[in-house]
Amino acid sequence: MGDPSSVATFQFGGLTFNAANIYSGLIAFVLVFLFVFALSRHITMKPGKGQNILEWLIDFTNGILKGSIPGNEAGAFGLYGFTLFLFLFISNQLGLFLQIAVGGKDFVRSPTSDPIVTMTFSLATLMIAQFAGVMKFGWKKHFSGYLQPFVFWLPISIFEEFTNFLTLGLRIFGVIFSGEMLLKIIGGLAFSHGIATMIVAVPLELVWQAFSAFLGAIQAYVFVTLSAVYISKKLEIGD
Amino acid sequence: MFSHLAVASSLAIGDMLFYAICFIILMWLIKLVAWKPINQMMQDRADKISNDIDSAEKSRDDAAKLAKQRQDALANSRQEATGIVDSAKKQGQQQRDGILAQAQTDAQALKDNAKKDIEQERQDALSSVRNDVADLSIEIASKIIQKELNADDQKALIDSYIEGLGK
Repeated sequence: MGDPSSVATFQFGGLTFNAANIYSGLIAFVLVFLFVFALSRHITMKPGKGQNILEWLIDFTNGILKGSIPGNEAGAFGLYGFTLFLFLFISNQLGLFLQIAVGGKDFVRSPTSDPIVTMTFSLATLMIAQFAGVMKFGWKKHFSGYLQPFVFWLPISIFEEFTNFLTLGLRIFGVIFSGEMLLKIIGGLAFSHGIATMIVAVPLELVWQAFSAFLGAIQAYVFVTLSAVYISKKLEIGD
Repeated sequence: MFSHLAVASSLAIGDMLFYAICFIILMWLIKLVAWKPINQMMQDRADKISNDIDSAEKSRDDAAKLAKQRQDALANSRQEATGIVDSAKKQGQQQRDGILAQAQTDAQALKDNAKKDIEQERQDALSSVRNDVADLSIEIASKIIQKELNADDQKALIDSYIEGLGK
């Protein structure tokens, strides 16, 4: 895992696809949809159990967005924040209990343990931020924000955009990737010297899984929070 | 790690497209299935709660108004009841006095009438008795006279009467 030779690829329509990303991504998407679908079956004025969980989640992600984006503008990004949080959370947890490798090639793991996947989402966030800025201020005023506080700031502004893109994507990738790597190493240790190493490895694996679950939740939260921060930056330049 | 990135970058476009499209589909599905109805419901609930608060305020005011009205009506009716009882008592007293006085005068009149009647009766009885006595005495006298008065006597009586006329 993580080693390029361990990735199964296939071609489709002139594009190369990473089989592990496709399979695990599909599983995560389906899990998110089933989770939301199952909880939203009986929507009533008096919320039931499922509706309560869903409403709490919506309030939670809306709270993250409202914490950074001022005024009523947070409402426009509510759905994005909600879906993003759920998808990243489930993706982060997926690899902790489900990793499938066939013939030394990965097929299912956390989608977020691949930098391409996380950087897709960081790119999406930054594009939404640019789009929101243009929508609010118009092209001219939006891009004049890159010249503040003075014109020579332009290279630094552009570089900042680029680093935002990289750090947002690589932060979550690093945490999840290293978590899964260590899980695999501990798993390998468990089977290396028979029953003795297994006794040592099982509690270690348990502890690391618990810690990774915690980290996965934190990283999903951080990703959505930083997304809200980057979006709010683009909504405030004119002020 | 960089080698991983470098190799991955050759795969990037396909995976990125796949994730972007899947994510957009997921967002659309979630919007359809959960986001819209739940937000609608939350909005409805917020509206309902604020309406309920307003209507509760209103009904509390109404209740206070009604309670005050009832209090007033109660005090009023108590006063009225006392008035009615008082007037009834007074009327009763008056009526009693009137009836009593009436009864007294009636009784007096009856007594007077009775007295008068008795007196009248007595007078009548007396007079009738007196007449009866006179008649009786006349009859008795006539009977006595008739018995003693035969033809000779009658002749002598007439004679004496005539004699008396001649005087």
